[in-house]
Amino acid sequence: MITPMAVEVQGLVKRFGRFTAVDGLDLTVVPGAVHGFLGPNGAGKTTTIRVLLGLYRPAAGSIRVLGMDPARQSAAINRRISYVPGDVHLWPNLTGHQCLDALAGLRGARDEAAERRLTDDFALDVRKSVRAYSKGNRQKVILVAAFAAPTDLLILDEPTTGLDPLMEEVFRRCVGDAVAAGRTVLLSSHILGEVEQLCDAVTIVKDGRLVESGRLADLRHLAASRITAQLTGTQSTTVTSGLRELGLANGDGAGTDLVLSVPRTQVLPVLALLARAEAGDITCTPASLEELFLRHYRVAAR
Amino acid sequence: MTIMRLLLHRHRLMIGAWLLLLLTLLGGTVWAYQDTYLTPEQRDAAVALARADTATTLLYGELPLPGTPAQMYAWEIGGITTILVSVFAVLLAVALTRAAEDDGTLELIRSCGVDPRNPLRAAVAVLAGVAAALTIGGSVVIGAWAGGVDGVTWLGATMLAAALGLTFLLVSVVTVTLAQLASTAPTARLLGLAIVVAAFGLRAVADVRDAGALNWLSPLALRASIRPFTDDRWWVLGVYLAVAAVLAWLAAVLCGRREYGAGLITRSGIRDVRLPVRSALGLRLRLARRSTMIWTAGVAGLGALFTAMGSGVVEQSRDGDVGGFLGAQLDTTDPVVGYCAYTATLLGMVVSAYAILQVLHHRQDETAGRTGLIVAGGVRRWALLLAQVTAAVAGSAIILVIAAVTGAAIASVTIGGDSTALRMFTYIAGQWPATAVMAASAALLAGIWPRATGLAWLPLLAAGTLALLGPLLNVPQQIRDLGPFQQVADPVTVNADWSGPAVLLLIAATMTACGLAGINRRDLLAG
Repeated sequence: MITPMAVEVQGLVKRFGRFTAVDGLDLTVVPGAVHGFLGPNGAGKTTTIRVLLGLYRPAAGSIRVLGMDPARQSAAINRRISYVPGDVHLWPNLTGHQCLDALAGLRGARDEAAERRLTDDFALDVRKSVRAYSKGNRQKVILVAAFAAPTDLLILDEPTTGLDPLMEEVFRRCVGDAVAAGRTVLLSSHILGEVEQLCDAVTIVKDGRLVESGRLADLRHLAASRITAQLTGTQSTTVTSGLRELGLANGDGAGTDLVLSVPRTQVLPVLALLARAEAGDITCTPASLEELFLRHYRVAAR
Repeated sequence: MTIMRLLLHRHRLMIGAWLLLLLTLLGGTVWAYQDTYLTPEQRDAAVALARADTATTLLYGELPLPGTPAQMYAWEIGGITTILVSVFAVLLAVALTRAAEDDGTLELIRSCGVDPRNPLRAAVAVLAGVAAALTIGGSVVIGAWAGGVDGVTWLGATMLAAALGLTFLLVSVVTVTLAQLASTAPTARLLGLAIVVAAFGLRAVADVRDAGALNWLSPLALRASIRPFTDDRWWVLGVYLAVAAVLAWLAAVLCGRREYGAGLITRSGIRDVRLPVRSALGLRLRLARRSTMIWTAGVAGLGALFTAMGSGVVEQSRDGDVGGFLGAQLDTTDPVVGYCAYTATLLGMVVSAYAILQVLHHRQDETAGRTGLIVAGGVRRWALLLAQVTAAVAGSAIILVIAAVTGAAIASVTIGGDSTALRMFTYIAGQWPATAVMAASAALLAGIWPRATGLAWLPLLAAGTLALLGPLLNVPQQIRDLGPFQQVADPVTVNADWSGPAVLLLIAATMTACGLAGINRRDLLAG
């Protein structure tokens, strides 16, 4: 038997009146992976997540979460999902502990030992009324509930907003533990460092459409690497003509600080060229997620 | 000015809807008083009876002599409008002040570098503006009947409208002052409504027990002091305007002396309590516990007030002729039945408001994202809405049964007579199917059209108008008998007719089912 994908979305379309929030999106999350879900504000990430949870009905597309259809079996699916919304509103007249009681009681499955451990890890005082909580503390309540619940899939929508750096660290550890326990994580986030550190694969969306998807390592390889070197005047001339032969136009030509963005296939020839020219301080860095990200985001801004 | 414009823009729907309701009620009923009684003799008899009728005196105050159509109008419609106006005043005052502090919008305004005293000033200015709009609008819609309806004058119309506007101003400024003491908007709302109930009770006691001086202490008794269409004592307005100014100054002082978001009445910050719930219904019942207890106390108190004061009317009616005005009000041959039905109708309306508010929590939870949070935990969304309706209907039952027991106990002492206690109990408890219909209509909207849940108040408004003003507006008896608050099976009658309550429950079940089906077919509202 083939284990189903944790999330398998094909051609998802979601419209609100005339506005199309998600337009033909594909998303596949492998079981046991941490999958980053990236995109600028208003790209349709939260809308997609709500479709996965069965809160929104899709206009078109095939959607499978844990092998089931959220439009028809959302209750069965959601009992196996932990969800952390981007904007947490709890019952203001309850205490943190009562909120945890309510959420676990309604789910009908609970791991109190894990809950106590996580409450301590996140340094959360659950005896306080929700009204007295800061944004970060409300976020902690829901994170504790999400990680402690005995579920297979965690859907986290910008889960670290409002957390201090110490707590972000605790959060990362929790994600690591979750994956070690065989759970799957879909993480929507703007914090690229977090995604880069945690995620095996990412999906980047923009304007409700898929831009790029795949394993982070593969994406890095597809993107341009960054090569820098120090050149003297004569070296500069040699290098410029060499680059021209390789089909890489070097902006200013004769600069002494060389900064190049080089496609993966051209990295070796360029390095060889620089080595032959005996250039100084040669560095070569693979593309960071940030560069990947900005390359796609900037197009939207134009 | 900018803050005022912001406040007006933010609450324009609430202000507009209330003003429309109040002015329609004021302007749309004047004509009816001209034609109610054909001959002066009939009218005199009716006025005499109305003045002796404890039930209506309790609710509206004392009908002044000689009882011209204008005076009757100011007495009855003025009475209903006064109660509505004071509820509006509490809700708006809290929305403009404490609620803005709770949701953080006031923090934003304060952070823009405005004078810290300005937000409160702007709120009071908006309240004064609404009071002025009520006064001017009311004067116009009532005064337009000058010459058409006996006793209506422009001066009297202005005095009545000013009394209503001033009631609004006083209640709202008192609420703003209390809001400085409360630590949250719900507490402030509760304090404000408690003041309204106390002021109503004071006014009722003053009128029923002939202690008119007490009326000067109640912001709901301005009509008794100004006496529109009777003496038109305009100088009274000045006295209460000064009182309102002093209260506003007090609110400003209190506001200046406390920290942002703080209040004098706070619960201790740390509570080691748990919430053992296993179902959506369990959670809903727990969340509704506090407000249900408060409503129970309020409704039982109101029921006790009415039954305790009710002995007079029944005595009066037993002695002789019930007809004309009182006949129309009590609407039956047996005065005890009439009084029980009248009291129960009023309580039924109040409990309906509770039921509607309970179900409307669903919409609030949905927009706040709490519904999504629970659904994401594997609870079916129809089950959530069903839990909400069930909790509302169960809460209504508890409130009505306790009010019914209280009413029956008091009635057996004060009114006496065969099966009075049984009747009082049955008539009050018998309002339960009607409240279920109100809850169900709110559930229907919450299920299929959540953006329009405000319309859930329309059935109550329509049924309330039919019950209270049906006779006045010459609605045929057959139609009035169809009103949801009239569907009670009299326990003493040999062949009690249970079809009315049964039909109501059937309607409630159908509407709830449609709402449940609807919520499964739509997107949840964005959080």
